[in-house]
Amino acid sequence: MPRRVKSGPLDEVFAALANPTRRDILDALLDGEHTAGELAGKFDMARPSVSEHLRALRETGLVEERAEGRHRFYRVTGEPMAELIDWLTPYERFWRDRMIALGGVLDRMDDDDDE
Amino acid sequence: MTTNDDLTTIEVDQYFPHPPAKLWRALTTPDLMAQWLMPNDFEPVVGHRFTFHGRPVVQTGFSGQIACQVLELTPPKRLRISWADADDPGSMPTEVAWTLQPEGQGTRLILEHSGFDPDDPTQQLVRRLMNGGWRSHVLRRLTDVLQPVVCVRTGI
Repeated sequence: MPRRVKSGPLDEVFAALANPTRRDILDALLDGEHTAGELAGKFDMARPSVSEHLRALRETGLVEERAEGRHRFYRVTGEPMAELIDWLTPYERFWRDRMIALGGVLDRMDDDDDE
Repeated sequence: MTTNDDLTTIEVDQYFPHPPAKLWRALTTPDLMAQWLMPNDFEPVVGHRFTFHGRPVVQTGFSGQIACQVLELTPPKRLRISWADADDPGSMPTEVAWTLQPEGQGTRLILEHSGFDPDDPTQQLVRRLMNGGWRSHVLRRLTDVLQPVVCVRTGI
């Protein structure tokens, strides 16, 4: 497992995500890891621009880099993303968790009087 | 699982392999509600005021105490309550509605939490960042990606 460079504070995350191209890159990485070259081809962008965006995303901790031979792969880092989502939509996660808990309660309840 | 692009409403739905009547019991019986939601003094009577006692969540500024009132009660189809942070009377109360739809051998439960302040600076920021459907699309995809990532932060 690669080590996360650092987990930046939220304002850095927001600054990074304020750029629509970076959101697109992040979106593409949600499908799985890619090299900078693959991303450049996908978005018809110059490699240096892609690398610049990737660097900004890595500084937020949202994206991490993995070296394999001569290639460098980029992927979404789970934990900071989860934190971001929690922060954006705390209630959404709250209700999703409650739904899971409700499922457990229902499984333990008897079926009397329900038919 | 859906995410509404309208930031004033959160919508979550889930299928349960149980009949609506059983779900209705779990949604409206205080002891059972305490097992999946929070300890409470709920009564299934329209107009009844009650409180959920949860644990505070520092990150979200949630005091843990939620003042509620039963607004609508249609067994076994729909329950709607008001929902406000009891320690922050100045904040606009939100509403939580559960709708039960029979589906196959079970029930689909649709939860809508509505009435979030569209003028809240945080939400404005989110809306600016997440315009154009990016938010819902990515949140949905992230939910898939993050299934293995266990992180329960609600603390309740």
